[in-house]
Amino acid sequence: MSRDPRLTIARREFGALTSEKTIVLALLIQLFVAGFSSFLVVGLVSMYDPGSIDGASVDVGLVGDDGDAVADSLADVDGLDVRQYAEESSARSAFQDGRVDALLVVSEDEDGRVLIRASVPDSGVRSTYTVVQLRDGLEALERDRRAALSDRLSFEPLALPEEASASPYFGFTYTVLVPLLCFLPVFISGSIAVDSVSEELEHGTLELLRAAPITLVDILDGKLLTAAALAPAQAALWLGLLAINGIPVANALPVLALVAAVAAAIVSLGIAIALLAPDRRQAQLVYSVGVLSVFVVASLLPEHPANTVAKLAIGSPTGTTWTLVGGYAVAGVMGVTLVRVAVGRLSIDALGGDR
Amino acid sequence: MGGSDASGPATEGLIVELRKLLRIARWEVATSTGTVDRRTVVILAVALLAAGAAAPALTAGGGGLDDGIYRVAVEEDHPYHDAVVERDTLRVVGTEASADLRIGADGVDAADSRKGDAALGELRDAVQSYNVRRLRAESDRAAAFPVLVELTFVDRGGVSVDIDDGASGGTGSDGDGGGDATGGDSSDGADGSNGSDGTDGTGGSDDTGPPGDGTGGAGSDTGDGGDVGTGGGPLPIPNLGGGGGVQEGTPADISAPFPFGPLVLAFLFVVPMNFVIQAYGSTIMDERRNRRGELLLVAPVTRVDVVGGKTLPYVGAVLGITIAVAALVGAGALAVAAVVPIGLLFLALTFLAAMFARSYKELTFVTVSISVFVTTFAFVPAIFTDVTPIALISPLTLVVRDLQGTGVGLGGFVFATGPSLVASAVLFGLGVGVYREEDMFTQRPVHLKALDALAAWIHAPWQVAATTALLLPFVFVLELLAVAILFALPLSVSLPAILVLVALIEEVAKSIHVYAAFEHERFERSVRSGLVLGAASGAGFFAAEKVTHAVQLVGLDQLEVGQAAFTPTSGVGPLLAVGLFLAPLALHTATAAISALGAVRGPRRYATGLSVAILVHAGYNLGVILLVT
Repeated sequence: MSRDPRLTIARREFGALTSEKTIVLALLIQLFVAGFSSFLVVGLVSMYDPGSIDGASVDVGLVGDDGDAVADSLADVDGLDVRQYAEESSARSAFQDGRVDALLVVSEDEDGRVLIRASVPDSGVRSTYTVVQLRDGLEALERDRRAALSDRLSFEPLALPEEASASPYFGFTYTVLVPLLCFLPVFISGSIAVDSVSEELEHGTLELLRAAPITLVDILDGKLLTAAALAPAQAALWLGLLAINGIPVANALPVLALVAAVAAAIVSLGIAIALLAPDRRQAQLVYSVGVLSVFVVASLLPEHPANTVAKLAIGSPTGTTWTLVGGYAVAGVMGVTLVRVAVGRLSIDALGGDR
Repeated sequence: MGGSDASGPATEGLIVELRKLLRIARWEVATSTGTVDRRTVVILAVALLAAGAAAPALTAGGGGLDDGIYRVAVEEDHPYHDAVVERDTLRVVGTEASADLRIGADGVDAADSRKGDAALGELRDAVQSYNVRRLRAESDRAAAFPVLVELTFVDRGGVSVDIDDGASGGTGSDGDGGGDATGGDSSDGADGSNGSDGTDGTGGSDDTGPPGDGTGGAGSDTGDGGDVGTGGGPLPIPNLGGGGGVQEGTPADISAPFPFGPLVLAFLFVVPMNFVIQAYGSTIMDERRNRRGELLLVAPVTRVDVVGGKTLPYVGAVLGITIAVAALVGAGALAVAAVVPIGLLFLALTFLAAMFARSYKELTFVTVSISVFVTTFAFVPAIFTDVTPIALISPLTLVVRDLQGTGVGLGGFVFATGPSLVASAVLFGLGVGVYREEDMFTQRPVHLKALDALAAWIHAPWQVAATTALLLPFVFVLELLAVAILFALPLSVSLPAILVLVALIEEVAKSIHVYAAFEHERFERSVRSGLVLGAASGAGFFAAEKVTHAVQLVGLDQLEVGQAAFTPTSGVGPLLAVGLFLAPLALHTATAAISALGAVRGPRRYATGLSVAILVHAGYNLGVILLVT
C-alpha cells in the first residue's frame, strides 16, 4: 500500500469510475462514434470512388449526331456501359423504364463545342453514384477533345500520372479517425474532472477534509492524475486496436505524449472551471463550450492539433510538428502548475458547504 | 368536495392541478435562470466570440486536417512542381529517401506502401485540378473546355417506387404526384450554396474542387460534428436528397448530390438539444441530492405536478430551439411537429437517467449515450429518404420531405412520430413511478433502479399484460432501427441477424418486467404464477401488436428485410392466413412463459429461459418466412 495520499485519492477516483461502469460506457461511446463515422465514410467513399464497388456499373443511354466519338471516350472509363440509340424517343423511353441509368443527348454548339444534355434520375444515393461515374466519363471525353484541339491552346495540359490502386480509406483513417480517437478521450477526461470536482463541492464533502491530514492540492492532484492518465491510456488502446487491424500508427509514443499533454491542460482547465463555477450545470456548460472554442481557435496555429496528430500518425512530421508537440508539453505542464498554485491559495472554507 | 354538476368539480380540480403545475414550472425557471451568474455569461460570450472569429480559418480549406501529409520529392523545374505546391495535402521535400513520391525525368516513383499509393492518387487529382486552373486562363474558351454539360435531375418515379410497388397505401406521397425535373425546388431556395464543394455557379468560379475533394471535405465534416453550424454566411445545408434542378458547366463543374443532408439537419436540430438535456438532467439530479426533493414531496402537490412543472420549461426550450432552427433552414410547421417528438424522447430518457444515476459522472455518461442513441435513431433511417419507405421511421425524414416540398400523408406522419411520442410518455410514466422517497434518495446501480421502476407499476397479472403492451413502441423503434441499419448489408448477412435481433428485442420486452416483479416479490415464486404471468405478457403483446399494425400502412413489409421483422400475412391462402394470424398468439404466450418460468428462479435461470425463448422465437420466424416465400 502506498503512503502517498495523492495516489490513494487517485485510486479511489478510479474505483468510483469502474464501480459505476462509466469507463465501459465511455469506451462504448467512443467505439460507436468511430464506427459510425467509418460507416459514413465507407458509404461516402464507395459512392465517390467507383473502384471500391465491385461490378456495379452505370448504363448510359447515348443519342445524338457525334455519338460515336463520345461513346469511344466514355467506354474507356471503368464502370460505364454505353448504349447508343438512333432515335431520341427510344432512348428516352429506355431511360424512363429504368433500362439505362442516365441519358445523354449529344449536340454541337456554334463554337464547335460538344454540348451534352444529361438526365439523371433523382433518387438519392444511387444518383450520386451515377453522377460521379458520369463525371469521370465526361472528363475523359473532355481530355480527348482537348488533345485534338491542342494547337489552339497556349498551355498544354500536363499528362496525368498513372492511376493508383490506393485504398480510398487511407487518408480518412489518418486524418479523421486517428485524431478523433485521440481527442475524444481527452474531452471525456476533462468532463470527468468537472463532474468529480463539482460533486465534492455540491455535497460539501471537501469541508470534511479539513480534519484530514491532506491538503486541497493533494486531493486535486489525485483527481487530476486519474482523469489525465485515462486519456492516453484510452488512446493507447485505440492505437493498439488499429495496429491489430492492419493500420499501423507511426510515432505512436509522440502521439501518446501529445495526448497526455493536451489531456493535462484540458483537465486542469476543467478543474479550474469546476472550482470557479457556481454549480455543476454551469460548469459543464462553460467547459463544453470552452473546449469546443479552444478546438476552433486552435486552427489559428500553424498546424491544427488534429493535423499534428495526423502527420505524426501517418509518418510525415515536419519541424513545425515537433515544435508544436513540445509546445503542447509546455502547455500541459503550465496548466497543471497554474491550477495547483491557484488551488494552493484557495481555502477550503471558500469552497466548502452547500452552495 | 361534493358538487352537483358532474363536470364542474372535475374541471375545477383540473384547473387547480394545472395551476400547481404552472407554479412549479415558474419556480423552476426562476431558480435556474437566477443561478446563472454574470461571470458565466461573460465567459460563454467570450468563448463563443473567439470561436466565431477563428471559425473561418477552420472552415476554409476543409479544416486543414490533411495538410501536408504526403511528402513529394520533385525538382523545381519539373512540370508537376507547381501542381504539387498548389495542393495542400502534398508537401515538397528535398530529394531525400523519406519521400513518399519521387518525381523525376523518367516518371513518378511511388513508395512501395499503402501511403505511397494514396500519395499517387492525390498527385493525379492535383495534376487534374492544376490543368483546369491553367486552362481557365486560356483565351480560346472553346478549345480549353470543349465539352459543355447540362445536367438535369429527373424524377423518374419508377426507381424510388419499385420497392414499394402495389403496397403504397400510405405512401402516396412518394413523388409520383410531383412534376418532373424540379423535385428540389424548395430546397434550392433554402440553400443556394452547396456546402461541401463550392461549385454553385456555372463555370468561372476559381475553387471548383477536383473530383477527390468531395470525399475529403465530407470526411472532415463527419469527424467534428460540433462545428457544423459555425460557418459564417448562409448555412451549409447541402442539396437535400435530390440534386436540385439543373446544373450547367464543364464536366469538372458537375457536383454530385450530397446524399447526407439529413446528417447536417440532425446535427442542427439535435446539437442544441444536448445543452437542454444537460441542464434538465442537472435539475432533476439536484432534487435527489442532499434530499432536497423531499420538501416538494411532502408539499400538497402530486408527483405528476412536480415532474410536469419541472419539465415544462425544458419542453418550452426544446420547442423554441426547434422553431428557431426550422426558421433558419427554411422549414415549416411540419418540420417542427416532426422534431418535437425527438426532443420529448430526449427529455424522457434524460429524466429517467437522472432518476437512476448515482453521481454526476454517471449522469454525464448516460446522457452522452442517450444523445448518441437518439441521434442515430434520427439520422440513420433518414439517409434513405429518397430510396425506401424505411426512411419514415425517423421523424427527421419528415423534415427532409418538408424542405423538399414533397409532404407526407397522415399515416406516414403518425408512423414517423407516434412511436417516439408513446415511448416518451411511457418513459415519463416509469420515471414518475420511482419519483418517491425510497427510490430517489438511495444509491443503487442503474439496472436495479430500472427494475424498480418497472416493478413499481405491477401488482396484478393484468398489469403485466398492460406493461408489455406499453413497451411495444420501444420494440417498434428498436426493430425499425435494426432494420434500417442492417438493410444496407447483403441479404445473407442481414436476414439471420435481423431474425435473432427481433427475437431478442421482443422476448426481452415480454419478460423483463415479469423478472422485475418476481425480484420484488410481487408474486409467489411458483411454476403456476410463472405460467400465468407469461401467458398474460404474451397475450398483451399479441393484442397490442394487432392494434398497431401500422407497418402495413407504409408498405414496409414489402422489403425482404422488413418481412423478416414483421411477419407477413398477405398473399397466402385463407386457411394458412388464419393459422398465421393465430400462430403468433401461441408463439408469444409460449416464449413469454418459457422466460417467465426462468424468471421465477432468479437471475441465472432467467437468462437461460430468455435465451431459450429467443431461439424458439427466431426459429419460428424463420419457419414462417420459409413457409410463405
